[in-house]
Amino acid sequence: MAKHQASDRNDAELLQGTLDMLILKVAALRPIHGYAIVQRIQQISKDALQIRQGSLYPALYRLENKGWLKAEWKAAESGRDAKFYSVTKAGSQQLRSETEGWKRLCDAIALVLDEESEVAEG
Amino acid sequence: MNWLKHRGWERKMDAELQFHLDTQIAGYIEQGMSRKEAEKRARIEFGPLELAKDECRDQRPTQWLSHIALDVRYAARSFRQNPGFAAAVIATLALGIGANTAVFSVVHAVLLKPLPYANPEQIHSVEVIIPKQEASLPVTIAVYQAWRQAQTTFTGMAVLKPAVFNLTGDGEPERLGGARVSANFFSFLGAPLAMGRGFTATEEQPGNENVVVISHSLWRSRYAADPAMVGRKINLNNRDHTVVGIAPPSLLVPTQSQLHASLAFAPRIDVWKPIAPTKRELESENWDHGMLVRLPPDASPALGRQQLEAVLNRFIRTQAPGFNLDLKTQLIPIREIYSGNVRLRLLLILAASGLLLLTACSNITNLFLARTASRANEFATRVALGAGRMRILSQVLTETMLLAIFGGALGIAIAVYGASLLITHGPADVKSLGDSGMNLPVLLFAIAASLLAGLASAVFPGLQVFRTSLASGVGKASRMTAGGRTTRVRQVIIGVQMALATALLASAGLLLHSFLKLKDVDRGYQIERVLAVDLALSGPRQDPAGFYRQLAGNIRALPGVLAAGAINDLPVTAGVSGASQRIFHPTDSNFQEVAMQRPVAMIRSVTEGYFAASGASLRAGRFLTDQEPAPVALISESLAERLWPKETAASPVGRTIRQGDVTGPLITIVGVVGDVRPGAADRELPPFIYRPFSQWTSGTATLVLRTAQDPTGLAPAVRAEIRKLNPNLPIPAIRTMREILSASIAERRFQMMLTSLFAVIALLLGAVGVFGVVSYTVGSQTREIGLRLALGAMRGDVLRQVMVRGMIPAIAGLAAGLAAAVSIATMLRGLLFGIAPSDPIALGAVVLALVLTSGLACYFPARRASRLDPIAALRCE
Repeated sequence: MAKHQASDRNDAELLQGTLDMLILKVAALRPIHGYAIVQRIQQISKDALQIRQGSLYPALYRLENKGWLKAEWKAAESGRDAKFYSVTKAGSQQLRSETEGWKRLCDAIALVLDEESEVAEG
Repeated sequence: MNWLKHRGWERKMDAELQFHLDTQIAGYIEQGMSRKEAEKRARIEFGPLELAKDECRDQRPTQWLSHIALDVRYAARSFRQNPGFAAAVIATLALGIGANTAVFSVVHAVLLKPLPYANPEQIHSVEVIIPKQEASLPVTIAVYQAWRQAQTTFTGMAVLKPAVFNLTGDGEPERLGGARVSANFFSFLGAPLAMGRGFTATEEQPGNENVVVISHSLWRSRYAADPAMVGRKINLNNRDHTVVGIAPPSLLVPTQSQLHASLAFAPRIDVWKPIAPTKRELESENWDHGMLVRLPPDASPALGRQQLEAVLNRFIRTQAPGFNLDLKTQLIPIREIYSGNVRLRLLLILAASGLLLLTACSNITNLFLARTASRANEFATRVALGAGRMRILSQVLTETMLLAIFGGALGIAIAVYGASLLITHGPADVKSLGDSGMNLPVLLFAIAASLLAGLASAVFPGLQVFRTSLASGVGKASRMTAGGRTTRVRQVIIGVQMALATALLASAGLLLHSFLKLKDVDRGYQIERVLAVDLALSGPRQDPAGFYRQLAGNIRALPGVLAAGAINDLPVTAGVSGASQRIFHPTDSNFQEVAMQRPVAMIRSVTEGYFAASGASLRAGRFLTDQEPAPVALISESLAERLWPKETAASPVGRTIRQGDVTGPLITIVGVVGDVRPGAADRELPPFIYRPFSQWTSGTATLVLRTAQDPTGLAPAVRAEIRKLNPNLPIPAIRTMREILSASIAERRFQMMLTSLFAVIALLLGAVGVFGVVSYTVGSQTREIGLRLALGAMRGDVLRQVMVRGMIPAIAGLAAGLAAAVSIATMLRGLLFGIAPSDPIALGAVVLALVLTSGLACYFPARRASRLDPIAALRCE
């Protein structure tokens, strides 16, 4: 049932698991609702990261169930009630460890790629 | 699941997603799009909304619950589409679970539930063992007293012996089963009285013993639960007795021959009276007291036994210095007393019902396999559409479990009814323990059995789902499964099923044939047109010999009566009750020397007319009369054979014997009669010695009369004659000999019928299984058969081939089952009578029944195959 439909755009596909990290990061700043999370990620990444909006909400529900996000209903800027997510203590811990893991991974990949380019140049 | 909560959750999710879309749309409108365009754009950006919702729902922790709800709804729908299938499975399971639960409830009550005593595991019964003879005895009152006075490890000892009480005075005279007990009896068992008190030590002194405790049921039925009952006087055996206590309703005491084969308690005990032995009774050699002891928690039974034996042998030496045998003792846990007789039979029935459940499970597996095979297409489609295999597996499991739950619930209902039938018609030992209604352990058993059956039935269909989805694509699936592994699995299951049915059917056949043999065996007495009534003359100043002689004479004078006489114990109950003694030659002088070589005979005292009434056959000499001045006896053929081996039947007549001891009076043998066979006993014929009532007297006796016509009409006249002679004598039901005999073999009949019932159900299940497999094979090979017919195959060949293929697993199962049944029967030789474990008649009938049934089950689908229209068959997918 969970077959994802291929995106027809050429945006960078988000790696499995990175969406969770991004959501936690954005929600860590202040309580924020789903629509704003999408806007915020695209804005910060200068529209390089396109989030498939349909997959955002299952991720939010999953994080809420894991206890990393908590949610409350309150009025948004428009005056309508919206569900605002904020990061719990466990969530910020998770964010820290995921960020570190991500950085290590990036450094490692960068090392490999740099080596590759040297070989190619040489 | 909480539906309201679920609705609220859904609403909130909808609101959140709608907020997202609305905000997006508002944003696009602000950027200058038209509303329509903005809405379209937002939808595309968001992606499929329902998919997102589904994925959100999947994140809920309780989601698996709604998966199950979905599976259950789906399963229920598919069962509604195919109600015959569901009904077959539920009925099969209900029968299996019901039978097992009913049997288990009895097993639980008889073998597992704690007995209603304080620390019941400490209580043991004691028997004295005579070495070399392998005979066991109860104890004498003197031995009991010697043990009680000695220092032993036991924390308590009690004795009890059978007694019969005639209750007269207020209302109909009534004959009550009772027991004489040591004063400490109730405190020994740790069973507090419902009212009043138990007995005191002073009531064990002769003269003080006329006090009784009565049973709760007697108190309620005869005295309307009179609250002032304690302290009242009642007349028992023509003496006043003070009621000092009412026994608790749940009191469990040994009845009939449970405590020892030679102690005949009544089926129900209503009166307890203390034993107050006189000097003469203390000196008597009556080994007729049942003995119970209580071991301390940490003591070893072996130590207790050694102490008992030391005291016993020292005591015997002081009594009879010449006695040179070392007597042994044996401690038997009290539970064995209650369940020992039925344990084997109960476990056999439990095994039979277990086999039945196994057959039911394999049948369900087969039904499901056929179903999943025909649904392979559906499963393959669903896998192709992205359903996880686990989800499909969980659906298969849900289906079997749902049916298991329904079947289990129905099975529990059957079990409640079945258990009450088992208790009512079951062996007497079961009745005494049987309050076995539904209780927690039994309910848990039923639930566990249902769930296990559901799980077991899901194993093969579940595996098949995995294989199907891996192996085949959509469309191919239905044809792929036709010939392959699944069919082989199903054939093996059929074989196993037929083996189980054969084993059950063969056991039932052997029991049935034994039963028929036992029923028709020549017993040495008439069964038709014979009436019997048990009487018990009791109390002081009675002359039993004179009374029974006169009564028999009066009855004989009644019109329609051919013969009448009395005997102290009917031979049909031999082995259950009655005295027995050793018979000596007149030349024997040293008791110790010859005792072990002389036969023991059951002693019966008779009035004139008994043999004529019972229809015994005289082999030599004459019958006994009521005028026998000198000591005389009539002996049975088997006793003659043991006393004088290899001599003719007539040779004992005129010879003399001694009974009981080498110093006893010489008794002249006046005749030899044919052997009689006890009702239930299937062992070798017991030797009998018959004495005139005037020479070996007894208060209790059974009046036997033979009539010209149907005897039941004579009962009122017989009753009136007894009343005329003694108005205070209780008269229990007057029964025909057929009824008495039928009651004595009731347990065997019950077991035979139960096993037969299980076997027939197993056979039916087996036939359904064979039919299902062959039908399915034919159905899935329609095209192939059609092709062969179109190419010119003979219809007879098709018929034969389908039948042979269907019969192979059945025949294999039959062979395996027969082998199993013969080895089971060899182990249970004790339950057979008059036939060998490999009895050709019983086993032949079983083979015939199985071949016919499975042949029929194959024939119908095979005939369908042979009548296929080739054109239609080729067109069928």
